[in-house]
Amino acid sequence: MEKATIPAAAAAAAAAKEEQEEEDTVWAWSWGAGTDGQLGNGGFQDHHLPQPLLFPPRCRGRVSFVAGGGAHAIALTSDGEVFTWGRGTHGQLGHGDVENIPHPKFVKFIENYTITCVSAGWNHSGFATDSGQLFMCGDGSFGQLGAGDNHPRNLPFEVAHFTTKHVEKLAFGMRHSLVLLKDNSVYGFGSARRGQIGRCARNQRFYNVPRLIDGFPNCNIENIYANGDHSAALDESGQLYIWGRALIGEHDDDQPRPVFPSLSISQMALGWHHALVLSAGKLYTIGAYRHQKLDPLVLPSADPVQQLNPPTTNHNHDESSSLSTLVKVPCVDGEQVVHIAAGTEHSALVTDKATVFTWGWGEHGQLGLGDTCDKVAPQKVNLGNKRPCSSASCNVYCGSGFTVVVNFGSAAN
Amino acid sequence: MSAYDEVEIEDMEWNAELGAYTYPCPCGDLFQITLADLRLGEEIARCPSCSLFLTVVYNAEDFADAKEPQKPSPRPVAVA
Repeated sequence: MEKATIPAAAAAAAAAKEEQEEEDTVWAWSWGAGTDGQLGNGGFQDHHLPQPLLFPPRCRGRVSFVAGGGAHAIALTSDGEVFTWGRGTHGQLGHGDVENIPHPKFVKFIENYTITCVSAGWNHSGFATDSGQLFMCGDGSFGQLGAGDNHPRNLPFEVAHFTTKHVEKLAFGMRHSLVLLKDNSVYGFGSARRGQIGRCARNQRFYNVPRLIDGFPNCNIENIYANGDHSAALDESGQLYIWGRALIGEHDDDQPRPVFPSLSISQMALGWHHALVLSAGKLYTIGAYRHQKLDPLVLPSADPVQQLNPPTTNHNHDESSSLSTLVKVPCVDGEQVVHIAAGTEHSALVTDKATVFTWGWGEHGQLGLGDTCDKVAPQKVNLGNKRPCSSASCNVYCGSGFTVVVNFGSAAN
Repeated sequence: MSAYDEVEIEDMEWNAELGAYTYPCPCGDLFQITLADLRLGEEIARCPSCSLFLTVVYNAEDFADAKEPQKPSPRPVAVA
């Protein structure tokens, strides 16, 4: 078989073509509410279909996490850089101003630090460094910056309370902040109204200094979660703890409560009135989409509601933790759920075949299905034909009313 | 359609620019109810961006002739 030597010019042309194709491929998308620039696509309007998210080309394959807030987002790269975009009215983008920015912008102020964890609340942001420092910016009205006052900050500042401690993980809700330390302790600050930062003095509406959340049994906390007025933690055995505003029923809980002890949970995601839990490849919902309150969730698969936590007579707390019911989410045959995310009132998942599904509230196009309809069961999102064919994996992230999907490089996870 | 949620006026924030008490809406915008609405006994806070609305819980007498709240001026702390 003849194997011609490709002339140098032709090789260069082929390389250029490949490069051009690479540039033309889309590897990050967003859709949903966009009036504050939170889609990062250069515009300020809602989109009902996936739009290219305008990360700088050098970030390709390096975006390892995206935190979605009320109307802003924070992207973290695998080498510790941070980009923010969307609503900046309270300084939550960390650029030293209060502008809304419709595309990812490098957060220069913390460029000399290697950031390992980020989180976004309604209007506040946090960045943890590889050496365990915590930087915060944005709205501090409820003490959610942990600064000891209730002032906003438009540049990241280091939270003094943690200078001698090692911060590992962050999870921010609407008006509160949770911090997991390397020594396994969980701290909370910000709004205390619904028990979301643990047990507080009566009538104490908020704390602007971090305080230890006690009540965990002897366990190793692996991850923490927050959204709305809810808080949660997952330990290494897969035991889930929830506290704060009740997901089901009326009774808030100001202490971490172990729930669903019969499940080994690998991932969870919190909305404002619902939560998702992934256990042994099965996906469940706790609570319900609030806007469908009068329209109870009826799942086409008619999977029976499972009561995994039988009531006991000595439980004096509420049904949200001890009697909660989980509803199984119908998923796709032959595909495994590998990643889940929740916005305020919508949900998203990615399968092992890198297929993205969304369901829940759709009024702002946050389901990415081309319309504004609500969906009770997961629907496949079409990311278009500019997807790199080599795309092995992607992750999905949600802000309040928007969704972000990012392809990550083969080496990253 | 029912209210998205029920919120006490104490949990809403006064926004002088909008002349309204506000609370986060799940769409990313803010539920709003003006002082004039409250004086009239209105209980619904609406979001200008979507179809959702809140029920606001408050004592009507407190707002019968209420004036605009003084914003607790969050000014940067002077550094010594």
